[in-house]
Amino acid sequence: MEMYMLPSVITDIIGSQLMIVLSFLSLRYTFLLIRREPDNFLWGFLHYFCIALAIFAISRAVGHMVKQALLISDQKEIWKMISPFSGGINTLLMISVSAVTIYYHKGVEGYRAIQQKAESLRHANRNLEKATTTMKEMNLHLEEMVESRTQDLALSEEKFRNFFHNSKDMVFFIDKEGAILDMNKAGLEMLDYSKEKPPRLSLNHLFANINDLEDFQNTLSSQKFVEDFEAELIKKDGSIIYALLSATGIYDENDEYVGCEGIAKDLTRLKTMTAQMISTEKMASVGQMAAGVAHEINTPLGIILGYSQLMKDDFPENSEEYENLVVVERQSHACRKIVADLLKFSRQSGSSAQEVNINEILTDVIAITEHNLHLDHIDIEHCLAEDLPVIAGDEEKLRQVFVNLINNAQHAMEDEGGVLTVRTSFSKEEQMVTASVIDMGTGIDEKIRSRIFDPFFTTKSVGKGTGLGLSVSYGIIKDHNGTITIESPVMYKNSCQLTPGTAMHVRLPVLGQDDNRESTPATDNQLLEKDKNG
Amino acid sequence: MSPVLKYTISVFFAFGCCVLLPEQSMALQTHGAPEGIYVHQMAHILYMAAMGYLYWDTKRSTFPGRGWIYLRIFCVFTILWNFLALIGHASTQHLHPEDFTNVDGYLFSKVNMPLTFVKVVYYTAKLDHLLAVPAMFFLYMSLRSFYKNSLKKDGE
Repeated sequence: MEMYMLPSVITDIIGSQLMIVLSFLSLRYTFLLIRREPDNFLWGFLHYFCIALAIFAISRAVGHMVKQALLISDQKEIWKMISPFSGGINTLLMISVSAVTIYYHKGVEGYRAIQQKAESLRHANRNLEKATTTMKEMNLHLEEMVESRTQDLALSEEKFRNFFHNSKDMVFFIDKEGAILDMNKAGLEMLDYSKEKPPRLSLNHLFANINDLEDFQNTLSSQKFVEDFEAELIKKDGSIIYALLSATGIYDENDEYVGCEGIAKDLTRLKTMTAQMISTEKMASVGQMAAGVAHEINTPLGIILGYSQLMKDDFPENSEEYENLVVVERQSHACRKIVADLLKFSRQSGSSAQEVNINEILTDVIAITEHNLHLDHIDIEHCLAEDLPVIAGDEEKLRQVFVNLINNAQHAMEDEGGVLTVRTSFSKEEQMVTASVIDMGTGIDEKIRSRIFDPFFTTKSVGKGTGLGLSVSYGIIKDHNGTITIESPVMYKNSCQLTPGTAMHVRLPVLGQDDNRESTPATDNQLLEKDKNG
Repeated sequence: MSPVLKYTISVFFAFGCCVLLPEQSMALQTHGAPEGIYVHQMAHILYMAAMGYLYWDTKRSTFPGRGWIYLRIFCVFTILWNFLALIGHASTQHLHPEDFTNVDGYLFSKVNMPLTFVKVVYYTAKLDHLLAVPAMFFLYMSLRSFYKNSLKKDGE
């Protein structure tokens, strides 16, 4: 058996070539790796390792191939000369590869530490990503929730705003000091304040009665709410309105009172209507009673008068009996006049409707009463509207009304004198004629204002009045479907100054409007409207 | 005499001795022929140690991926190749020209009979590329795997 060296020669030649190819392919990958990740130490190490290996492979493979070539061509001497250099270089490169590998030792420790940090960072990043995903989901849900809540809030806010702005009752918000923070349009209108620039108001400004305010605040602090609290509120011009208040206290998270929110309803109209009904009932019952009394007294009075006149014939004139019968007859006539007045008040006396011009009636009345007024140093100032339309009424009865009013005005000014103003006007919108008798007297006390139309009620001294004048006037005007109202104190002329005098306003429908008007007793309504205005 | 002058004279004296009496100076060590083969063998040993260390450390580090497994296989093949080369170089020290016949030229040279252990070792060591080429192939596979992983990581 013989062992030829040819296989080893072939293996050597092919292997050397493969070594070069594979080392350069490896080098290519390390080059790509460090280009992709220049900061990665391991790729750097492998790159230098492959460079050393590639050089080693070239050196060794070239050496081997040269050797094979020289030996095949039988040039042993040349190979003998080159061989030490080839071997030396190979040795050197093997040491280099080893050195690079040993150098790896130091670098890899740092790389390992970096890797650990990187791994922990990656772990942290993964956790962060999970947390971010969770947060995103939560955020998404949160956004949906916020959007839903915002819509609900907007709806609620719109409802509240509509309620606040469109409410016909006053809606207000008050801080803990009692200052009004906000008030809706209806509230400002109720108090006659400007909607554009409402003033800074407080409960102290609004409440007319300090006791009411204290009660309101005490109830609020004790119960934390106030329900159906009636109070008088002051309007911008100083007049009073009646209001029904309901309020709820507002408390912060520490249960500290920070203010209240409430609603106020204007009860003035309701109060007026109630008073009107009471007054109407009262006047109706008084009228009925007066009519009954008048009828009952009228018959015996007629008999007394008849018999006294018959008995006068039985006695000579200038005799004592005759004179006594004259007194009886005169007083009986006085009684009959009173009875007639009572019947007028109760509207049971007959009347004749005809076209009447109020200006003419007033001119007649002024002419009759002017002399007496001048005696009391009262000047008459009349301002009668031109082209005043006629009304349908009883001229005599209306004349009696204005005589009564002027007499009352004279009585009010008899001590001090002054100016008595008579004025007429016409309202096209209402188709009403207004006649006003305005004095500069002492005015009408608040306490007696509701009684001045009562029969036999008088402030005059005994013998100066029967107390039937205004009652009769009331009955007559009511019979004409008109109103009679009182204004006291009165705004004198066009000035803004209130004087203690009184204005009596008689309003009568023009001819043709009468049938269209309800025969409601507007007098009382009007009267009470004036009452509330002080 | 100043110290500078003393130092200067000493330097010149030493230089003169080295030039004029080289055997006496003993400044240079001579390198005989066996030194080359010794150094080469030591380089193989060093190479083996380096590959062993690389194998141990990459395994210890538990770097993830198939590439590191290929790298460790490369280390094993390289160690084996070094060992084969080491004993191959050693075997040549015990062979003589008369152990080979190349009458018909180098390509037809053959190992003379009888076969000895040294001759077999030498013959086997001459086929060292059967270890060196697979070693390089696994290094190539290892780096290819690293690169693909890198691409995949970026793709993610």
